[in-house]
Amino acid sequence: MIRVVSLRKASIAGIFGALAWTAVLGSLDILGLPLFDIVKELGTLAFSTDEPLGWISVGLLAHCLVGICWALVYAYFFWSRVSWAPAMQGLAFSIVPAILALFIVNPQLVLMHLDADAVRLTWASVLPSVSLTQLGGLLLGHSIFGLTVGAIYTHPVGYPANRDPPLLRLPPRTASTRRQGGRQIGSGFIFATGIECSYPTIEHGGWRRDEMESTRHYARWQEDFELALDIGITHIRYGPPLHLIFKGPGSYDWEFVDEAMGYLNDHGPEPIVDLCHFGVPAWLGNFQNGDLYVALAEYARAFATRYPWVRFYTPVNEMYVCARMSALDGVWNEQRRDEKAFAAAAFNLARASIAMTEAILAVRSDAIFVNSESSEFCQACCPDPEIQRVAEFENERRFLPLDLIYGHPISEGMRRHLREFGIDDAEYARVTAHKVPRRSIIGVDYYEWNERLIDSDGHPRALGELFGWYVIASHYYDRYQRPMMHTETNRMDASDGPRWLWRQWHNVQLLRSAGVPLVGFTWYSLTDQIDWDTALSRAVGNVDPVGLFDLNRDPRTVGLTYKRLIDMHKDQPGYRACPALERIMG
Amino acid sequence: MAGFLSAHGYEPGPTQRPLLAGAISGMVATAPAIGLLHLFGSLAVEARIVGMPIAGTIGAGLLVMAFAGAVYARLLGRAANDVRGSWLFGMAFGFALWATGGVFILPLVGNGELPAGTPATGVFLSLVVWGGSLGTLLPFVHRRLHLSVNEPGIAERLGPSRAAKGSRR
Repeated sequence: MIRVVSLRKASIAGIFGALAWTAVLGSLDILGLPLFDIVKELGTLAFSTDEPLGWISVGLLAHCLVGICWALVYAYFFWSRVSWAPAMQGLAFSIVPAILALFIVNPQLVLMHLDADAVRLTWASVLPSVSLTQLGGLLLGHSIFGLTVGAIYTHPVGYPANRDPPLLRLPPRTASTRRQGGRQIGSGFIFATGIECSYPTIEHGGWRRDEMESTRHYARWQEDFELALDIGITHIRYGPPLHLIFKGPGSYDWEFVDEAMGYLNDHGPEPIVDLCHFGVPAWLGNFQNGDLYVALAEYARAFATRYPWVRFYTPVNEMYVCARMSALDGVWNEQRRDEKAFAAAAFNLARASIAMTEAILAVRSDAIFVNSESSEFCQACCPDPEIQRVAEFENERRFLPLDLIYGHPISEGMRRHLREFGIDDAEYARVTAHKVPRRSIIGVDYYEWNERLIDSDGHPRALGELFGWYVIASHYYDRYQRPMMHTETNRMDASDGPRWLWRQWHNVQLLRSAGVPLVGFTWYSLTDQIDWDTALSRAVGNVDPVGLFDLNRDPRTVGLTYKRLIDMHKDQPGYRACPALERIMG
Repeated sequence: MAGFLSAHGYEPGPTQRPLLAGAISGMVATAPAIGLLHLFGSLAVEARIVGMPIAGTIGAGLLVMAFAGAVYARLLGRAANDVRGSWLFGMAFGFALWATGGVFILPLVGNGELPAGTPATGVFLSLVVWGGSLGTLLPFVHRRLHLSVNEPGIAERLGPSRAAKGSRR
């Protein structure tokens, strides 16, 4: 798939573009300025000029159909390629159909109107044979069309945050012809993938991104699980849509989740349930809400009660990334850009994670928690003390949410920073005063942009894979001394996916051989994702080819490679039964 | 556009057979196109222009359209398998074929003659409908032709040596 396109919006844009063209040029005709009458040109191919009702109907219909086709071409290939105002993008695009109309279609329309079945090729039949007024009409008509289409066709993915997804149909589970076996419950090494499920808001809370909707998981959920099983996936990171389920205090809509969770319970893969993934329901506001933890704990308790067989949970996914993108980089949810907002978001997220963990444990005391966090590292570019200070601070800041949930002491410098930005010692003590569950796993995600250089201006720049997952993950293990899992990786360049997969896997093997209790590996995600090239900041619909399968659900080479990797290792000693996981599960 | 297609999934991957799927779809899609050509009187005019009997013209058309279908499938790669968009991509391809083949190539092989009047309308519609049919059919034909992920030879190409960059030293 090239891009996720809203067929409905593009069709509407195409029809309105064609009608606007007809209305403006028709009005000019009435005012005594006859230009190019496209409706008449098309309609009189089927009806004579003596039958106005006939040619106007057919001409208008054909014009609208052509308009829809061009609007779809615009949506697939042109929209958002330049960062201009939407109407201007449409205007620029209209040059393409205008040129084709002038040099190809119009001369052919002239030929089609001839009272002969064949003619000899002449320059007149190839070159445009239009008068200046016709030329003006063609250009004006196409400009109006382009402006209208551009103005209408925006936001092809996502939906208003205060509404449910449009035309959401959740197909019921069908009798599986591919899955006869039950869910495998074991303590073998975890070969995982995930269904990408981010649901932050953008545009200051007005527009909801919903990756499960954009990737059509809601429509193809059963096929997605079956594909995961086909390549040997044992566990799946799965985040039911909190914003669609949790309707208000004590109010839940479990319709979709019941079907999906029922399938996972019957057939697998074993879900690692991700309860909060970069967003909250509109009624909860955003991550500046100090009471968030109360509501999310209620949700976690309700979830664990409804699906008591679920054992693996990620209460809040990537707390650091969520706080940073929402409150420091100004991209998601509250879209703040200040240290005070970041500190509040980080504390609210950590507090929610702790409260959710306790709520789940109250229902299922042997639950296992996979606390996924993005691995980050900043390298100072030079010996400048200020640059060194920035790098050191960022290298400590990356740990803040995990420090809070694991009760790891923070440095005096970080304490001073937090005090300065509104988190006093009493608040800090309140959040960290809890017992850390024994069955906790640190999930460390890694992408090529996680290592950064602090340049001479003090700004972070992506370094690529400099030290690699082994080194960065070691920082996390050294700090927390807990079992670990590689919980996310992928590659934006699909052709390099297999190489990246094997390299990440060798990092995992090396860390295991160094004695770190490492329980699993994850290629994230099962299918391609949408708009991660812009961190979901713009509702464009670009497909990022990072999945084991593309959005048609055809396997990518990396999907086949992962199957090969799993087949090679799953029955090897140390993988068939993973001692580190056995200790956690026991 | 080539870069755009490449970035978002041009490469079909080792389990797909785009050339075969495209050729079969291209050939099957000629059925409605031939119907339209006949309906608009274009078939007889085209046969006359290229100097062949109607049956020969249809036969040649089938071969050309099978080849065109294979080119389409290879050109669009994974995008051709997208059920929601493929009819449009196919139609655009049919339009491009009309703009090049129907308008420029046919006169070259036909001694400078090209269809006009109603037959010219028929040629245009038949190619657009052929493209739309090709695009619509291809995702379904493609699924039937998928190689198994366990096909011998595929897995070997995807082994751990892929971690290395460049040739063996």
